[in-house]
Amino acid sequence: MALTTTSTPALRDRRPRPGPATRRGRAGAARRGEGAAGYVFLSPWLLGLMGITALPMLLSLYLSFTNYDVLTPWSEVEWVGLANYRRMFTTDPTFWHSVQVTLKFGLIAVPLKLAAALGVAMLLHRAWRGVGLFRGLFYLPSLLGGSVALAIVWVNMFNRAGAFNSLLSLFGIHGKAWVNDPDWALPTLMLLAIWQFGAPMVIFLAGLKQVPVELYEAAAVDGAGAWRRFRNVTLPMLSPVIFFNLVLETIHGFQGFTSAFVLSNGSGGPIDSTLMYTLNLYIHGFTEFEMGYASALAWVFLLAIALITVVLFSTGRFWVHYTDGDDR
Amino acid sequence: MHPTTPTTLGRRRFLRGIAALAVAAPLMFGAAACGDDKSGDDGKVELSFFWWGGDARAKLTEQALDLYTTKHPNVTFKKTWQANQGYFDKLATLTAGGDAPDIFQIDDNYLTEYAARNVTLDLMSYKDSGKLDVSKFPESLWKYGLVDGKLAGLAFGENTQGMVYNKTLLEKNGLPEPTIGMSWQELIDWAAQVTAKTKIPGTQDPSADYKAFWIWLRQNGKDMYKDGGLGFTAEDVTAWFQMWKDAAAKKATPTADVIHEGNDTDITKQLVVTGRAATSFVWVNQMPELKKNTKDELGVVSYPGDPSAQWARASMYFSVFRNSKHKDAAVDVINFLANDPEAGEILGTDRGLPSNQDIRKTVADTTTDPAMKQSIEVETELATKFGPSPQVPLKGHSKVRSELVKAAENVQYGRQTPAEAAEAYLKTCQAAIA
Repeated sequence: MALTTTSTPALRDRRPRPGPATRRGRAGAARRGEGAAGYVFLSPWLLGLMGITALPMLLSLYLSFTNYDVLTPWSEVEWVGLANYRRMFTTDPTFWHSVQVTLKFGLIAVPLKLAAALGVAMLLHRAWRGVGLFRGLFYLPSLLGGSVALAIVWVNMFNRAGAFNSLLSLFGIHGKAWVNDPDWALPTLMLLAIWQFGAPMVIFLAGLKQVPVELYEAAAVDGAGAWRRFRNVTLPMLSPVIFFNLVLETIHGFQGFTSAFVLSNGSGGPIDSTLMYTLNLYIHGFTEFEMGYASALAWVFLLAIALITVVLFSTGRFWVHYTDGDDR
Repeated sequence: MHPTTPTTLGRRRFLRGIAALAVAAPLMFGAAACGDDKSGDDGKVELSFFWWGGDARAKLTEQALDLYTTKHPNVTFKKTWQANQGYFDKLATLTAGGDAPDIFQIDDNYLTEYAARNVTLDLMSYKDSGKLDVSKFPESLWKYGLVDGKLAGLAFGENTQGMVYNKTLLEKNGLPEPTIGMSWQELIDWAAQVTAKTKIPGTQDPSADYKAFWIWLRQNGKDMYKDGGLGFTAEDVTAWFQMWKDAAAKKATPTADVIHEGNDTDITKQLVVTGRAATSFVWVNQMPELKKNTKDELGVVSYPGDPSAQWARASMYFSVFRNSKHKDAAVDVINFLANDPEAGEILGTDRGLPSNQDIRKTVADTTTDPAMKQSIEVETELATKFGPSPQVPLKGHSKVRSELVKAAENVQYGRQTPAEAAEAYLKTCQAAIA
């Protein structure tokens, strides 16, 4: 505690209060009792975490060093060392292809989604009649999330006889079956991801409300136009929220699975154009019965996402401004 | 301090309980996996029964199983069914958990995969003791279920490749119908003529279709698999792709994105019923289902070329889980479904022509469904021209199939030349079956 005379009363309150020894003991006992009760209340979640997340994760780490093929009993699984990992980086061309598809998807869809979210949030930030309704409507798509039903609707919309082509035909354009075209299938999926910008939008809305109005007023007085106000007030003030959304959406974007699975009937087609990393992993695990290899893929994926997140955090230092951290 | 003692103990006990659970959980699964003993001495048996298919099949299958329960009140069924999409994922997951269904439907894309990993019960001893009666089956048909000398599944229904065409469309335009034995080149010329006249592409491009490719290979003295390896070369694949590339140039086939739609295994997406081509390449037993999806009248003939390249294929199988607790009962059920006249009458030709030839005849004589009648007639006619069955697909067959789609589409979309696609295809196939 390096707090000196400048510390605020609120912070001073957090300092441990010295008290009589007996009182501390009783408090500790009570805390232990609370602890036990806490564990009991926690147990449904804890059991779930252990049984449904932690154990399977550890198992999959083990499996990634084996040739487990789903159908063969555990007892006959063979240890293959690093063979699965070697195969990924040396002899499996679909691995690199799926990495490419996933990167393309993430690098295009995530920035556009955030831009859309921020843009609409700016519009809906102002108080006008019926704004609540519009906020709800724009949020709706992301409530539906990664649902299969939504993906099916989307695929049909961009199919040959879909709504999108009906729209185009109004302008005399004869559209193709976009979802069947290897050049257009992935962009269709990106569009679906971008359309679901509701969740980051709500967070942006909350962030915009935090920006002090005085800053805008001061900027306006200084003669700053709308663009300058956005550039020099909104963006810096919003940067922690942008950062948060960026990290979240990047992780989310790279994990895209459902829509690609539905569009391609689980094959990653047409011609592997929608073979997202997770879909490739799924195909190896469940159609080709290479669960050991699929587990290795999963762990490499986990490490890659962790790495990307670390990189994002380290760049954050240069462009994220925390107003309350200025005197640190 | 006193009041705290029970709680700390309680927590310790509780933590120990969690640890015990964590240890016990895999043991429990393990126990389920190797539960080989015969339980249910009270005579009550519940068998789990899993299949893929549509509503119609579900109704028929449930009816047939209920009939079995009526005759054997001690045996009941836990029936589960779903669409083909996702069926094998679920089956694999159940098997991995040691909880595969007692009886499950399977096809030859996966039979070898499951048999090679000892998931399926070897039915040979049941066949030899007569508990599983295949005496009324064509020999080549039940032998289709043999994998490495073990009878991995009971062939349930006989089937063959069929080329389906839109009869109404052809008649309306005064065009001739395709015939049995016409060559592939004749088909392509005919299709180009259909396109020119009707503005609807004459035929689906089947270059991505393994069964069409397979037949074409056999007509050229090759095969899909031979002696545990591939039965074709990159040159064969190149020639096959080139033939369809030329067909596309003549406008005999649809554009690549339409072909992609038709490459779906879903019956409702076949181009002949969606009206995007005049001809599709399917299985003969799919005729009744195809008919339900179009108002037009459909005709069916063999695939082009010498029909002796076609063979009587087991459309699907019923297999018994090797670790089922009620193996004998399970075998008796599939025996009943295959050989009981009443059950046969209920099931009809939904899974292909009944394997039991007596039942096949009865069904053919009594059916009133015109589509079913047609598929029986065509198949019986073709049966006289069939050649020998090829070897059952190797492990890795499903990959060989899906990679063909990819390679063919690379050619159709103009991304690769036939030779490039063929070479890449051969490489992946060799890796897949290794």
